[in-house]
Amino acid sequence: MKNGLRIIAVSVALCSSVAFGASNISAKKAIDGANAAYKQVAKETSYQWTVTASAIKAAKKAFDKGNFSEAEGLAAKAMKLVAATKLQAKIESETWQMRVPK
Amino acid sequence: MTIGDKAMKTIIQYLAFGLLGLSLSAATIAGPEEDRKAFQNFYENRFPDTPVNDFQNGVYSILPSAREQWQSIEEFPPYELSVEAGEKLFHSKFVNGKSLADCFGSNGAVREKYPHWDKARGMVVTMERAINECRVANAERPYRLKKGKIADVSAYMSFNSRGQKVNVVIPSDDARALAAYEDGKEHFYTKRGQLNFACADCHMYTAGALYRADTTSPGFGHATSWPVFRSKWQEMGTLHRRFGGCHKNIRATPYKAQGSEYSNLEYFVSYMSNGLEFNGPAARK
Repeated sequence: MKNGLRIIAVSVALCSSVAFGASNISAKKAIDGANAAYKQVAKETSYQWTVTASAIKAAKKAFDKGNFSEAEGLAAKAMKLVAATKLQAKIESETWQMRVPK
Repeated sequence: MTIGDKAMKTIIQYLAFGLLGLSLSAATIAGPEEDRKAFQNFYENRFPDTPVNDFQNGVYSILPSAREQWQSIEEFPPYELSVEAGEKLFHSKFVNGKSLADCFGSNGAVREKYPHWDKARGMVVTMERAINECRVANAERPYRLKKGKIADVSAYMSFNSRGQKVNVVIPSDDARALAAYEDGKEHFYTKRGQLNFACADCHMYTAGALYRADTTSPGFGHATSWPVFRSKWQEMGTLHRRFGGCHKNIRATPYKAQGSEYSNLEYFVSYMSNGLEFNGPAARK
């Protein structure tokens, strides 16, 4: 009985630390990825959105508070905004001249 | 037909296609002067009741109700203190005994020279940049770029330059100048930010429309009245400060004041206003 309880306690501790570690690591990875993508889109296109910077900042704040799933969600949002920025830059590079009056 | 005739025929065909291509591209790619005429025509057609020279008054050229208010503000202009402060700064001696007057003449009435293309450095030089370059050349610290002392000095110099005409030149002997102009032009017509707006969206195609409680000003004449005292700021600011504010409004990250992006944009916007009078500093909402 005693041994059984020990095994359960150790298992729970191990599982929770693995789950905790994974969330921590994946949130960090997501934030770093969003940050790199944000800088890269500026380098490639000179386009940057303020909302992307805000999302990354909020993700970092959530990470510092230990809210890893929230941080990961915000980083994912930032990645989507980066993708939209890239798309805007691509579309605009092909269409801006249509707005020039003739 | 000999092989030589065939070859000649092929060469002639290629030449014909080449000439056709050249004439087509000449028809579709307009130069700065064609751009300017089309730009000004656009506003003249959109606001037929506004005399051309009045576009230098910004939104007040198309909004009679706000114009009255603005004219009463101009009786006791809020930029007056800035002009006075600028005068003091302009004539203050640097540590080496010189002053800004050594760079810009006794009263700094040189607005009509800016922005201009600096061939030696291959860049657009704005008046604010020139002010700071004068200070640095005399071993002084440059002013901050968007407000404060730079706006005061600019206000003084602009005030003394009132009545001068915008006359931006794009030298034909330097392809880089045309490239800078084209860069500014692309900037003006390109949508940016999460709200997906181009300068042209607000200040050209929907100029005069209400955005919340504000009417957007026409882009023609945008470059004449700077620096301005904005009621929203409750202080003076430079044109590049305003560019940055516009970009923030559409949720685009602003570029650096006096960087190439905004300097080239100023080059383009000023060229579009060629022929209008400089009337800065001014009061704006």
